[in-house]
Amino acid sequence: MSTRTTTFGIELNRSRLYDVGFVLGKYLLLAFFLLIIIPPFVYVFSVSLRTPAEIFVITLIPDVITFQNYVTVFDEFSGPLVDSLLIATGTSLISMLITIPSAYAIGRKQFPGRMAVFYVIILALLFPHILLIIPISDIWNGIGLYNTIPGLWFAYQPFVTPFSLWILRDFFENLPTNLEEAAQVYGCTEFSAFVRVILPISAPAVVAVGFLAFLAGWNDFLFANFLTTGTGPEPATVVLFKNVGGELQFWETLMAQALVVGIPPAILYMVGRKYLAKAFAVS
Amino acid sequence: MSEEYRTDRAGVGRVGRYAENLREYWFSYLLVTPILVLIVAVLWGPFVRGVWISLHQWTSSGKQAWVGFENYAYLWQWEAFWVGLEATVVYGLSTVIQLVLALAASLLVWNMNRFKGLLSGVFLLPYTMPQVVTGTIWLFLLEPSFGPVFTVLTDLGLLERAIAWPSQGEAALAVVTLVAGWTFWPFMFLIFTATLESIPEEYYEAGRVYGANRWQSFRRITFPQLKSAILVAVSLRVIWNFSKVAQPLQMTGGGPGFETSLLPILMYRIAFNNFQLGRAYAVGVVLLVLVIGFAFLFIREFERQSGDIQL
Repeated sequence: MSTRTTTFGIELNRSRLYDVGFVLGKYLLLAFFLLIIIPPFVYVFSVSLRTPAEIFVITLIPDVITFQNYVTVFDEFSGPLVDSLLIATGTSLISMLITIPSAYAIGRKQFPGRMAVFYVIILALLFPHILLIIPISDIWNGIGLYNTIPGLWFAYQPFVTPFSLWILRDFFENLPTNLEEAAQVYGCTEFSAFVRVILPISAPAVVAVGFLAFLAGWNDFLFANFLTTGTGPEPATVVLFKNVGGELQFWETLMAQALVVGIPPAILYMVGRKYLAKAFAVS
Repeated sequence: MSEEYRTDRAGVGRVGRYAENLREYWFSYLLVTPILVLIVAVLWGPFVRGVWISLHQWTSSGKQAWVGFENYAYLWQWEAFWVGLEATVVYGLSTVIQLVLALAASLLVWNMNRFKGLLSGVFLLPYTMPQVVTGTIWLFLLEPSFGPVFTVLTDLGLLERAIAWPSQGEAALAVVTLVAGWTFWPFMFLIFTATLESIPEEYYEAGRVYGANRWQSFRRITFPQLKSAILVAVSLRVIWNFSKVAQPLQMTGGGPGFETSLLPILMYRIAFNNFQLGRAYAVGVVLLVLVIGFAFLFIREFERQSGDIQL
């Protein structure tokens, strides 16, 4: 009897020790992550509010707080920000227009060559983007898409559509199997069953891929740089890149620029996060 | 009737069968046509053309001459190419940093009772912004002569003097690799978190009934469920890290010398500074060969995962 309680007692203590260690480790880890993520952004924000005199002083709240840097940024970036918005919106719309129908066909229909089609597209996900810069600039030059916004819309599709297709196909595949049949009983055609039944219940997944495509269009630098010359559309990321590479670096303005270009996609991600959360599951 | 039909079918042969498929499945084929046309026109077509370009001496003014594999032979004996190749592999190691951070963070968030949403939002921050933005931020923070990181480190006496990393090859490569680790880990975090959330709670209840402790339930339940996600995420990230351009290019310009000229950056430099498009594309083809093994890994796991869903 007594030995039993002792063993039991020891086990209890040991597992409590593990619990304490576990919780301690958890919060240490939490502190570590918050420390590597938050301070850089907070410090950069602080610098973006400073006058040139104080840029390199180590402090969080500068003596003189100025919003002049942001005024300067919006003067220079209002055009590029609009260009980026147009580029990202178009990329997102086109990608939805072409991936939704194909993901539906691959996810819910049986047809010969279905997996072949799927892999031709999904393999694009694994393709180093830089390999397309040279031939695409060459081809775009020939057909007049070089240095235009529509040129960028189409150039982004190979990088945006495979991921969207993957997410949407999984979503469509997991919907109940008899949805369309039920719709057809009520007089829907194959097409109207898709538009009136499947599409509305797929809204969360569609929103998720729309977000991702928009963000890809907004955030990209590679194509934005190599398919434009500076005389046509000026994507915000390209202007920022060029400013950083300039001879004179006004860090306080550059930090304001970085935040102005970087915060819109960050906010969008936060808004779209609950849609994305499910889409990324690999089980 | 059916006999007649069969002979008729055999008579028409393959073309007839295709026509029949088209008639029967026209709606599905119609739905996949736009994306197929686009991917072939904007990806596979240009890629084939690029390989063709790599077999030429091809300048940006359009002058071209067939040289066979001369561009590849040139790379083989060009020292900068080997420097770049080595840098690419080192930079690719940032995948390890990303994996460790993402695993730790996703298990952490998953074990939190409160603030789950807020925390995963904060964790995503580095990944959500354009790479050029995070590159700019770190260029300032790590600025060797006045930047806050080195100022603080030297003030605290942890460093004797700031490391002038932009002019030192190894240090520069270390900096871009670390910044890549910091920037891109949340992609894996997203995948892991979503996968963890999709593990049915009943598994853990069953584990508890059998008296599994924390480590055992991780080892026997969580890890097997995560394994596929880890392999998919790692293979994607290795490929993507190997082909990164924007952030390292912005931070070092590929220098000093060629020390941080990862293959994609080398490709860019040959194409846009030397205008040797053929040679540049040869570098690209080498890069593709380098990542192709990971592509196979990805496909294998992908197939396995699709199989699961169909069951």
